[in-house]
Amino acid sequence: MLTVIWLLPLVAAVLIAFMPPHFAKWMGVVAALAVLGVAAALAFLFEPGFHGFQFEEKLTWIPQLSIFYRLGVDGISLWLIVLNAFLTVIAILATPINKRTPSFVALMLAMSAGLAGVFMATDLVLFYVFWEAMLIPAYFLLWIHGEGPRPGAAALKFVLYTLVGSLLMLVGVIGEYVVTGRQTFDLAILATLAPAPSVQFGLFFVFALAFAIKTPLFPFHSWLPDAYMAAPTPMLITFAGVMGKAGAYGFLRIAVPLFPQPIGWWDWTWVIPALAVGGIIWGALMALAQKDMKLLVSYSSVSHMGFIVLGIFAFNVQGQQGAIVQMVNHGVIIAALFLIVGWIADRTGTRDRSAMVGLALRMPVMAGVFAIVTLAALGLPGLNSFVGEFMTLLGAWQRLPALAIVAAIGLLLTPVYMLRLFQGVMQGSPTGPVPRADIYAGQLTLLTPLIVLMFALGLEPNVLTSLMTSLGQIGLAK
Amino acid sequence: MTADLSYSWSQALADVGQIAPIATLVGFMLFAIVTDLVLPRGRRGGAVAIVAAVGYAYSLGTVLYRWVSGQGGYAYHRFATGDNYALFFEMLFATLGILTVALSHSYLRKRGMLEAEFHIVIMAAVIGMMVLGSATSLVTVFLGLELLSIALYIACGFSRRESRSQEAAAKYLLVGGFASAFVLYGMALVYGGAGTTVIPDIAARLGTSESGNPLILLGIVLMGVGFAFKVSAAPFHMWTPDVYQGAPIPVTAFMSVGTKAAAFAMIVRVFAGGLPHLAPEWQALLAFVAATSMVWGNLAAIAQSSLKRMLAYSGVAQAGYIMIGVVAGGQNGLSAVLYYLFVYMFMNFGAFAVVTLLAEADGDRDNVADLRGLGQRSPLLAVAMTIFMFSLAGFPPSVGFFGKLFLFTAGVGAGYTWLVVLAVLMSVVSVFYYVRVLIPVWTPSPGSAGLSSSLSTKTAIALSGLASIALGIYPTTLLIAGQLGANPISGH
Repeated sequence: MLTVIWLLPLVAAVLIAFMPPHFAKWMGVVAALAVLGVAAALAFLFEPGFHGFQFEEKLTWIPQLSIFYRLGVDGISLWLIVLNAFLTVIAILATPINKRTPSFVALMLAMSAGLAGVFMATDLVLFYVFWEAMLIPAYFLLWIHGEGPRPGAAALKFVLYTLVGSLLMLVGVIGEYVVTGRQTFDLAILATLAPAPSVQFGLFFVFALAFAIKTPLFPFHSWLPDAYMAAPTPMLITFAGVMGKAGAYGFLRIAVPLFPQPIGWWDWTWVIPALAVGGIIWGALMALAQKDMKLLVSYSSVSHMGFIVLGIFAFNVQGQQGAIVQMVNHGVIIAALFLIVGWIADRTGTRDRSAMVGLALRMPVMAGVFAIVTLAALGLPGLNSFVGEFMTLLGAWQRLPALAIVAAIGLLLTPVYMLRLFQGVMQGSPTGPVPRADIYAGQLTLLTPLIVLMFALGLEPNVLTSLMTSLGQIGLAK
Repeated sequence: MTADLSYSWSQALADVGQIAPIATLVGFMLFAIVTDLVLPRGRRGGAVAIVAAVGYAYSLGTVLYRWVSGQGGYAYHRFATGDNYALFFEMLFATLGILTVALSHSYLRKRGMLEAEFHIVIMAAVIGMMVLGSATSLVTVFLGLELLSIALYIACGFSRRESRSQEAAAKYLLVGGFASAFVLYGMALVYGGAGTTVIPDIAARLGTSESGNPLILLGIVLMGVGFAFKVSAAPFHMWTPDVYQGAPIPVTAFMSVGTKAAAFAMIVRVFAGGLPHLAPEWQALLAFVAATSMVWGNLAAIAQSSLKRMLAYSGVAQAGYIMIGVVAGGQNGLSAVLYYLFVYMFMNFGAFAVVTLLAEADGDRDNVADLRGLGQRSPLLAVAMTIFMFSLAGFPPSVGFFGKLFLFTAGVGAGYTWLVVLAVLMSVVSVFYYVRVLIPVWTPSPGSAGLSSSLSTKTAIALSGLASIALGIYPTTLLIAGQLGANPISGH
């Protein structure tokens, strides 16, 4: 069943690459919906409170190095798999149809397959294989389908940046295999075999570097503005919505449980949350300074990812549950934000927020949905982001009160830049470029599930957390 | 020691049996020469190509039969062997021979080169490589080395009207002769120290106490230098870019893979098989060579605009990665080396094969810009090239990744973590130039004509592409073969 989740989109991708554009898009939607169906079935059949992985699949792969093809799902990964499947559907639906659609949809499905693999792999080598394989479709998406003056350069920067981290992680993977002396890549077993703190210190560094670059954690985020600027809107839905979460997921799945005491020259369990808080503030300040709406949203993403990492390194159930809830929330919100910004740019021909005023009178429907998404993004109680950020801060407060206070300042900056964006663009008497039309009904339909989720998750976060009860039991929160 | 010089008929038969894959190929080569002599000029090329292909296939069949029947042992007074290690390399070279025939047939026609002679020369080179794989005496090692080298000197200059090709041949001859002299000096010194040229006997006679013997140490250094020339490892790689660029592409494709594999066969047999007690000495030497190769090869490859030169430098870097496995040694290290050499054949040969198709009647087209619009001219070739480049760069799930995984695991396991970290950092650099090749491939260029390619070439490329993925997703069988092949050396 788990194999279907990554193999189906991959097979579909190969077939879709050779189809005519219209057909390709709708076949892509069908494939993505099928995966979403499987993922939803997973969530329904998931047993809360279960120790360890569920729906496990295991095949001997390379016996010489005891590498197994081993998949499993637990409270950490379940919602990310669902989120990935869900956002892939949205992304493909949002894809415009032209003669490059088949390759775009195919690459999107391939990337989503890689991401699903990352979330399901419970063997370190298999995890690594998916982790790096998904770079290939991401590279081509950014380069061939990218926008802006030099998408190729942005794509290469993204790949090289990520590779520095992930190839060093390969050394870490091998090192873990050698150091523990048990000759296994099984994550569940490795979590019980912590090496000496000084060794953990080094291994934690190589793993954390890879995850920090992917997340991205301040100060390793400099690939992000370029890549997000180059990425086309439909790609950003999964690229920003899910791929960044893969880094945070790596922290939660590998860095934290495998290396509980990464203490050598200094204590990483303090350094990483400090960087996370740095990212929260830095991302918010950079977002304040941006005129380009897409760039503004990109930097806000850096800021929000900081909360997720902060929650993970709170080392308590609240913080880590909050981190996962926030991963899902942020995925939903960032997808909606990029869609809206993309549409505004499409209608008015510019992304410069200072160039337009008073769009609300010219695009009333757009103004309405934008208002909801803005409020969700800035963490209004009752909408989804509030729950996640509140939980992470609450978790962080228990362990790192000083950092939690600084992070709360970041929380105050979010409304400033989000509301400034909304008010500047939407309110006032209309000037600037005249939009061609309000958003289409089709586009509104696309946003509807996202907005419904924002309310649903905001009002009933228990839906998410109730299946994460295993989190406290498998010894993650130490 | 007085060797027993009596030699019976049954012994002779058994000895030929041990080197059956080589003997078969020699027979087919002689047959090819005769075919070339008796057939009319127009029919020679195709006929010899068929003879060569059948010869390689027959040789491959012999290897597989002997591998399964498992009666490998010494032959010719322990001067040669038919053990699994030899068989593994014979398998590799026979496969390479088939691929080369498939690739070169249409190329030679297009360029108007002598086809029959080309195949015969390449067969001679393959025989030399197989001899290197099965040699268990310094004398036989040198024999194989020279046979392989002389055949390749001729092959490099095969484009007779092109001064570049002639330059390549001359350069290769001079530098290659130089390297051979180094190897021979080293062998003479080791022989002086050990009193025998038979490699297993050298291992038995030279204990750890010999680590202070200047004769042996100098011999190791000289052989190491000569071997490094042959695998084109830095700082002894200077000839590689020029020779690769000047030689006709099928020759470059053949030697980039074949010479490297043969030279590694020789390095492992002589160093790991013959001087296990002096491991710290030659390991230090090879670790240095590995490090410089990885750094120099990868950095120099960035600056190249010719695909042949780029792949030449990438080959230098790849030699560095493979050297990690040799340095690590043991069953893990050596099986990783064998695995990597085998899959390197597919990915590197495949990359050169794609470049071969770009050639026009008046010369090779090997500039990166010549790939422009390949995605339109032939989408499948473009996909294949993409696979080869990502595989060389080491992306999963291609063979390049698993090869590196095995090599690096052996390296870390043997305590060479610094070498592995260096390799990993240099791999990041390599991604830059491998991926850069793909930019013209997938950039649409208006008005580009389709690409004509013969069925045999297409098959060779498709097979290489498939192998580059399939042997990565399912590496187990080849890795087991690698382990069995490594056993005679690592002593399991």
